[in-house]
Amino acid sequence: MQLRDYILRRLMVLPFLIIGVSIVVFTLTRVGGSPIGIYLSHEMTPDEVLEIEQRFGLDKPVWVQYLQWAKGVLSGDFGWSGISAAPVADVFPLKLAATMELAAASGLVALFLGIFLGTFAGARRNRAPDHITRIVAVSGASLPQFWFGILLLIVFWANLGIAPIGRSDATVFASINHPTGLYTLDAILAGSLRAFWDAIWHLMLPAITLGYGATAIIARMMRSALVEELQQDYIDAARAKGLAEKLVLKKHARRNALVPTITVIGLTFGFLLQGTITVEIIYRWPGLGRWMAASVVRGDQGTLMTYVLFTSVLFLIVNLIVDVVYANLDRRVTLGK
Amino acid sequence: MWFMQTWIEELLLENKMNERAFDNSHYNGDTAFRVRIRRFGALVGRLCANPTTVIGLIIIGLMMAMAIFAPWITEANVPDPYQMPRDWGAVRKPPGTPGFLLGTTNEGGDVFYGVVWGSRTSLQLSLYVVGSTMIIGTIIGSLAGLLGGWVDEFLMRLVDVFLSIPELIFALAIAAVLGPSFTNIIIALSMVIWVKYARIMRAQVLQVKQNEYVEAAKVIGDTKLNIYLKDILPNAVTPVTVQATLDMGNVVLIGATLSFIGLSEAGIAEWGVLVSEGQAGIASGRWWASTFPGMMIFLWALAFNLVGDGLRDALDPRTEGR
Amino acid sequence: MNSSISKKGIFTLLASAIFAFTAPAVSLANVKNPGLLVHAADDEATTLDPAQVEPGEGGETIILQVYDRLLDIDPYSPNLIPSLAVEVPTIANGGISSDGLTYTFKLREGVTFHDGSAFTADDVKFSWDRAMEMDLPEGNAGALSDVVASTEVVDDFTFRATLSEPVADFLNSVVVAMVSSVVSQDAVEANGGIEAGVPNEFMAGNMVGTGPYKFVVWNRNENVQLEVNDSYWGENAKLDVRIEIGGDPDVRVLGLRAGEFDTIETDPSFVADLEGADGVTIYTGGLLLEPLHIGFNLNIPEGSLPDGDTIPEDFFHDPRIRQAFNHAFHYEAFLNGPLAGYGAFNPHYTPIGIFGHDPSASVYSKQNYAEAERLFKEAGVWDEGFSVSVITEEGNLFALMCLVLKDSIEKLNPKFRINVLAVAEAVFDDAHAQNPLEYAMWAKNADPAADPNFYMQAYQHPDGEWGEVHGFANGYKDADKIAELIDAAAVELNSNKRAALYKELNEILYNDPMWLIGAQEGVVMAHRDWLKGFVQNPLWPRPSLKFSLFDK
Repeated sequence: MQLRDYILRRLMVLPFLIIGVSIVVFTLTRVGGSPIGIYLSHEMTPDEVLEIEQRFGLDKPVWVQYLQWAKGVLSGDFGWSGISAAPVADVFPLKLAATMELAAASGLVALFLGIFLGTFAGARRNRAPDHITRIVAVSGASLPQFWFGILLLIVFWANLGIAPIGRSDATVFASINHPTGLYTLDAILAGSLRAFWDAIWHLMLPAITLGYGATAIIARMMRSALVEELQQDYIDAARAKGLAEKLVLKKHARRNALVPTITVIGLTFGFLLQGTITVEIIYRWPGLGRWMAASVVRGDQGTLMTYVLFTSVLFLIVNLIVDVVYANLDRRVTLGK
Repeated sequence: MWFMQTWIEELLLENKMNERAFDNSHYNGDTAFRVRIRRFGALVGRLCANPTTVIGLIIIGLMMAMAIFAPWITEANVPDPYQMPRDWGAVRKPPGTPGFLLGTTNEGGDVFYGVVWGSRTSLQLSLYVVGSTMIIGTIIGSLAGLLGGWVDEFLMRLVDVFLSIPELIFALAIAAVLGPSFTNIIIALSMVIWVKYARIMRAQVLQVKQNEYVEAAKVIGDTKLNIYLKDILPNAVTPVTVQATLDMGNVVLIGATLSFIGLSEAGIAEWGVLVSEGQAGIASGRWWASTFPGMMIFLWALAFNLVGDGLRDALDPRTEGR
Repeated sequence: MNSSISKKGIFTLLASAIFAFTAPAVSLANVKNPGLLVHAADDEATTLDPAQVEPGEGGETIILQVYDRLLDIDPYSPNLIPSLAVEVPTIANGGISSDGLTYTFKLREGVTFHDGSAFTADDVKFSWDRAMEMDLPEGNAGALSDVVASTEVVDDFTFRATLSEPVADFLNSVVVAMVSSVVSQDAVEANGGIEAGVPNEFMAGNMVGTGPYKFVVWNRNENVQLEVNDSYWGENAKLDVRIEIGGDPDVRVLGLRAGEFDTIETDPSFVADLEGADGVTIYTGGLLLEPLHIGFNLNIPEGSLPDGDTIPEDFFHDPRIRQAFNHAFHYEAFLNGPLAGYGAFNPHYTPIGIFGHDPSASVYSKQNYAEAERLFKEAGVWDEGFSVSVITEEGNLFALMCLVLKDSIEKLNPKFRINVLAVAEAVFDDAHAQNPLEYAMWAKNADPAADPNFYMQAYQHPDGEWGEVHGFANGYKDADKIAELIDAAAVELNSNKRAALYKELNEILYNDPMWLIGAQEGVVMAHRDWLKGFVQNPLWPRPSLKFSLFDK
């Protein structure tokens, strides 16, 4: 199959998947009954409840509600966020930037740690350092992040007082403009070193908490790819030429091993995205995850639906991009399997 | 671990895992069975040669013992053993307080009791979820693979849709809609996880279907059901086992996360709930109520992940001799 | 990728780590954020519009700071003080007509709104009429429309309200309520005007008032920022304000200890976390006017109870069962455990701290298993046992109260089972707003009010809010008598006679309880020592603080 056909086919399936997800999500939120609770208080009389029902169109049949909702989504109206007392579409972009920044920073942490650990283990296969590295990496994937985050907070925030919570110092944050919503980037654009450090300083613990969880997959991939590369003929040839082992490892094997490692970025992204929920709760990070958790606990289904739909679409698109990029990089991959 | 499903499917599609685990080259039930036993022995041997896997197995053994012997370790609460026993007169006691080895929670709940009985809760959670999804997934995956055509098309598109939503987020959404209770967490996780088994099972069916020996069986005149029971199902045991092992850990991790967010029920002896409750005391140095149960979640997930990781190495022919 | 990149990466990590160690090395001895008061609130506002805000909801405290009302409550006592009105109307000063129906307010001159427009009696009339006309179901417009027959502008600085019947607590319950806040007529008319039954989007997210604080910004789910109004008619506030919203209670406690927050909202269960902390003062004065209670439903639709409930629909019609529940509850455990000792027990139904509370009234405050057993046996449910669900919001004191009830009842007799259904807030609100209610029991707190009439009407009157929903008439031994007494007390202007009526009600209701009152929760606030002028008055909306009085 041609690469172009492959991309086209994937693109054609995408809208159907998205519609499928939206139906599943919408059905789900109606299984538990009407989402009216978030608008109610117990002093309301039945007439007042009816009035609220009409205000939000909840008195119509479910499929009509779905179509209304879908129509709204297509025109950029994602409904009302009960917990934020504002249209979902107004609040969403603000939260999104914060979450993306955290996910990206965590991704970087995972990438650095993963490549480092993977190379370290791959070069020392089946020896003690390999086993220890494996436990370190697998530990990351096994840690309940909400608990790991609490432990870090106990040590660095509550006891040592050397780490902050939240996303920024409100005063510093207010001192610069926020054209992109990404604090680090805005700080660079504004040329404010103080704001940049503030951003990095607040990012550190959450990014480590989340990034460590995603390290295992990258380390794992890196290790096996490296092991495979190290057995290729060209490595032997390089060694025969008298190249130092360290150089062989770094210049040749590691560079080639990075290619298959890219495939897992899609998976890593999904993991980081869902990981933001608990990490944001613990570090008081003003992103989508914390918003989502709050709406879950308060039973705000408008927010919940948008979040699930959005993350799924994002997840699908990232996976598509990764697959395409990988297919481009490595023509050996059989397409469309 | 959360990311290993792709790998299992890949191996299945390339027909590598079975090459390694079982021998399909002869179509003779009797011989094949013996071959399976032999291969299984070899697999266990390879697993035990890996020190990290052994560590995982030991932890799992200890956890299981704790779950099974819970009533003998600490007396069951009356009337409901899965509720924390609460001594409202002994709230927030530190570890080592007589009668409360690991201290108490804000409600006077015995942390030690929660740690011990939490292993039962977790075992229940993982067995219910993994058990039910294995059955549902196997049936749906087999149907899709065997019947083919529009049934396959429909079921697999459904699976695709389910896989489009990140696992935790999907489970969270379902549990949120169903309302906070431990049973609902089990239901939510089951609804999310069955798709993995469906995919594995379908891949298995398709792969075996292609094999010549099935053709041969058809010629001999075996019924479809017979072929399914004799060839396809037994061969699926390996990939399903690996997936199940990984899920045993994963399910508890996600379940605890849902509990932590607040989707479990009040007062239950469950690790995630305890971490969430214990979080409240950290500021004043009451670290115990969240630390011990959290460590249990970690060890539980770590153990199953180490074993799953070891299984991967032992089964993947690409790592042969490496 | 080559090694130089990863070395750079490691260097960056190291550099930021070193920075992390040095950057926050600010001494805690110094006042953090001088000139700014950071308050950590536990609840997000849902609206900033006085006409839309629901009593007890997070928006009320912001409205309290930014808007003024005609009268206010003195910070240090329950007395009324002038605000936009220059004196408190009384019969003596002619502000209240002798029939108790007409209230005349002389207004302050020279007051301007934050947008610069001048304040006159038209704004008052406009504000009150607006709330009544919009009549939003979520808002508190009923407080006004139930009693106010008409409003009238006498002249620019005289406003008159006429009531439909004499109301003993009009000034205390209605005039100082947040729904009676004075908004700028110009601002509303420039931004959507008034539309009956439809919230005004501008007003829900913006504020143009006359108060000591000007509204700056509301970053939803994050913070609300207010700045000092330099041209306030009274004494200027000293500190700008940032209200941090939400976050775990634990984070608030840690933030206070670290000096990042100046005041925090917390509850009694966190007192232990704060005791002995450097530079922190714990304020534990008084009691919230929101008793924590569990309701008995006497109006359960047939077949609607959750699976597993074995009680008949008329279970709570029997006063002995309601009494038995009240005797069985482990009050000491609830008070000393979850409430950490900060709380008290109030009679049915006059909270401690308002008019009409009599310390000598009979009150459930001690677990009495013997009496509970006797009553359960008399009612004939002892041998067979029962299983009943109680629904509540998860993750707060209500859920803990239910757990105490569960333990209390189940320990009394193992055949008794209480299932605690702790659900999400919206799910609870939904269930709780049903009429008839599909649960046998539920737990929450009462709504705050400044006068006993509110509690008696809402929580005890057979035709009142809950009397109707729960079908009190099905269970009261003498429903007419109770209705009569409550109605009489509502219009009794002689306070001694009024108090006696409430005392009589307390005694009747002790023997015929419609609630299980777990406790009246103690007020617990905490603030940094560097905060000066801290004062708290439970009659103000929760957390009952006026930031304009503080300095640091």
